[in-house]
Amino acid sequence: MAGAIIENMSTKKLVIVGVILLLFQVFSFLVGGLIAPSPTTAVHYLATKCVDVRKHHQKSKWFMPWGPNQCEKIRDFDEAMVKMIEANDIVFAVHIPLPNKEMSPWFQFMLVILQFDIAFKVVNQIEDGAVVTVDVGLAYRDDSVSEWTEMAHSIEQRKLNCNFTTSKTYENEGRYYECDLLPFMEVGSVAHKYYLLNIRLPVSERKRINVGIGEIKDIRLVEIHQNGGFTKVWFAMKTFLTPSILIIMVWYWRRITLMTRPPVLLEKVIFALGISMTFINIPVEWFSVGFNWTWMLLFGDIRQGIFYAMLLSFWIIFCGEHLMDQMERNRFAVYWKQVGPIVFGSFCLFIFDMCERGVQLTNPFYSIWASDVGTELAMAFIIVAGICACLYFLFLCFMVFQVFRNISGKRTSLPAMSKARRLHYEGLIFRFKFLMLVTLACAAMTVIFFIISQVNEGHWHWGEHTVQVNSAFFTGIYGMWNLYVFAIMFLYAPSHKRYGDEQSTGDLGVNSGEDIQLTTTITHVDGPTEIYKMTGKEAQE
Amino acid sequence: MFMHLEVYYYILILLTHMKSCCSWSVNNFLMTGPKAYLIYSSSVAAGAQSGIEECKHQFAWDRWNCPERALQLSTHSSLRSANRETAFVHAISSAGVMYTLTRNCSLGDFDNCGCDDTRNGQLGGQGWLWGGCSDNVGFGEAISKQFVDALETGQDARAAMNLHNNEAGRKAVKGTMQRTCKCHGVSGSCTTQTCWLQLPEFREVGNYLKDKYQRALKVDLLRGAGNSAASRGAVAETFSSISRKELVHLEDSPDYCLENKTLGLPGTEGRECVRKGKNLSKWEKRSCKRLCGECGLAVEERKADMVSSCNCKFHWCCAVKCEQCRKTVTKYFCVKKGRTSRRKSIRLRKKH
Repeated sequence: MAGAIIENMSTKKLVIVGVILLLFQVFSFLVGGLIAPSPTTAVHYLATKCVDVRKHHQKSKWFMPWGPNQCEKIRDFDEAMVKMIEANDIVFAVHIPLPNKEMSPWFQFMLVILQFDIAFKVVNQIEDGAVVTVDVGLAYRDDSVSEWTEMAHSIEQRKLNCNFTTSKTYENEGRYYECDLLPFMEVGSVAHKYYLLNIRLPVSERKRINVGIGEIKDIRLVEIHQNGGFTKVWFAMKTFLTPSILIIMVWYWRRITLMTRPPVLLEKVIFALGISMTFINIPVEWFSVGFNWTWMLLFGDIRQGIFYAMLLSFWIIFCGEHLMDQMERNRFAVYWKQVGPIVFGSFCLFIFDMCERGVQLTNPFYSIWASDVGTELAMAFIIVAGICACLYFLFLCFMVFQVFRNISGKRTSLPAMSKARRLHYEGLIFRFKFLMLVTLACAAMTVIFFIISQVNEGHWHWGEHTVQVNSAFFTGIYGMWNLYVFAIMFLYAPSHKRYGDEQSTGDLGVNSGEDIQLTTTITHVDGPTEIYKMTGKEAQE
Repeated sequence: MFMHLEVYYYILILLTHMKSCCSWSVNNFLMTGPKAYLIYSSSVAAGAQSGIEECKHQFAWDRWNCPERALQLSTHSSLRSANRETAFVHAISSAGVMYTLTRNCSLGDFDNCGCDDTRNGQLGGQGWLWGGCSDNVGFGEAISKQFVDALETGQDARAAMNLHNNEAGRKAVKGTMQRTCKCHGVSGSCTTQTCWLQLPEFREVGNYLKDKYQRALKVDLLRGAGNSAASRGAVAETFSSISRKELVHLEDSPDYCLENKTLGLPGTEGRECVRKGKNLSKWEKRSCKRLCGECGLAVEERKADMVSSCNCKFHWCCAVKCEQCRKTVTKYFCVKKGRTSRRKSIRLRKKH
């Protein structure tokens, strides 16, 4: 009986393969947990309040919060009041990073969050639906003496979503509002050593700009970047995984081309899964260390999206090809109903990502959530994608249910079947159950670790060692899906064991003429039959 | 009696309190503090100052209202007090120092905050590049510890108490920090999430410590505790058994109603209290009873004409356009019984 390697493997060998994969799995968790630092770092910044002493605001001037050539600063706004400084003359300056440190391309991305400290005043409260208008400039330089070069400049609006938790009385004046975090800036590559942010909050009574936003006391920024150590471990992992998956892919495809028949749909889908995994794996990020490629973040999202779409499609098609009913499939078009939502959902997320991270390529301060229309649009995309995901899972669950129903149906009639058919069905059932089990285990692992990493504070102390749970989650889960794809390509590759025998037994199965569906699955005999030729042609078309 | 006024950095506090920001010298401090930490001295002074301001706010309607004299914490004299209030002052000062250092760290005031290469530095050596720096708050805590705890040179129970309360103040800052998270995975999903601890406003720390003050633990160590090594061990043992978050005191508080010149207590005579008004807390509403009634004083009502600004137009900073309004406010003060008949009308001018 021809079939996949998994069917023809002895249990002992299967266990050995399983143990080896498990060892790699444990290893990938340990790499993240013990070697890598936490994936990201958040650095706090408090904006220095500089005074723009020049009367005409030339554009080229940058305000440094500390170090040589630092600006003329004030500690608080009471001081500004005394000195008769106007709101329009105040520049909030933040230098990223803090003194004596420098940024590095290894940080991969830089994400800045804005927070206002707004003091409550009975007579000067935040109005409903208040919007802050920020005039912000970003500059960079690569040594601590040269001039700043402007990187981006924009006038942005952010909605203030604040509430005051204690009672609004005179006694509580001076306490701060609790405001939501405002997304502020996102840069997809950290190519320079020093960055400088100059933020102004221009006031115009006439245009109603920055009026009714309460009494701002401070601007706080939180800058988040990927840790250099984590990047290095991640790259190392990718560099190691790429050839492994590539080799098994080549091996797999050779197996298929060695056969006399053209590949069936499931084999093609498995190969496509391998390609999409390799696409993620290829460590093009190495270039981001040398080149200023800001689109890397977006590119990474796209790669991940393609892989997820491929994985979901694979599950559907795998279920479909193991349905064991009298339907003839083996064509991609048959699955449009199930694959459609995946494609559509991924497309929605792609559009959303393009609207957010795509626009950020030109304006790092852009946020789709800042405007009402943008928020609605973004929500619409996400909801549609969510509906697609639900639809998909309904289809998938229904299909799995169908398969199990058919399996139990076939079980009862198994003893009465001819040997070839019995073996064929047993193989089908075993393959399906195996993949089902492995997939469920992987999915459960992903969910469990996801929850742990969300709930946990990020690291566990284990004796003298610190285990970075979040890093372990990333490397472990990434390694796991790689091993998953690896295992599928290895175990579900067509077997050429007992090649000679197969021909006869296979012929027997087909010649008996009672089961057409035998030919529609990949376990079908190696000698192409008339029906197979037909379906193969259709698939090619 | 006043010989125990040790000149430590609390002198700085007093000086800054007088708003003569530029005239105070760090010479006093130079003699005591570790020289390498000179760059932190202004932050330390400002921090201690903010602690005391918070203390004043928290105790505005208590019999003991955190008077200036409370700041002159002595270190050596055996006459210094070890009551609940001392505990609070120590805690809030060390909390203030830690808070301000942490905050100024984020401003970029110091060269090396957070990056001591201890936490993440074990691999690769370059801590910042490999795994980022530890929180600024850890830095604030360490420096605050070095400064504030250095004042405690004694080894007796009082010193142990002060150190414990200093620690409790620092723990209060950590305990009130809020954890905030940001999701930034694929398409903004939560597959990647970064969390950080954020300093609360200092009022939160004050409220937290006031709460701890109400439930401060009394440790009976003064009686029979000499300076022998054995008793020192007992002191250390006692304090280590108490949670480091709790405030500890050794003595009971004196009667703050009465003026006590030897202890430097002003008494509650002449204090203002509040009585009516919506949105007052129960504690505030009972302030007249507590400050005056229960201390054997009468409440005097004084009407005052106050000019205040109203109908203001504000910008987020600095510019205010106001009209001036006049209104009559009623204030209450504690006076000796028999003097209440007279109603004073005073004019107060309140600047906005």
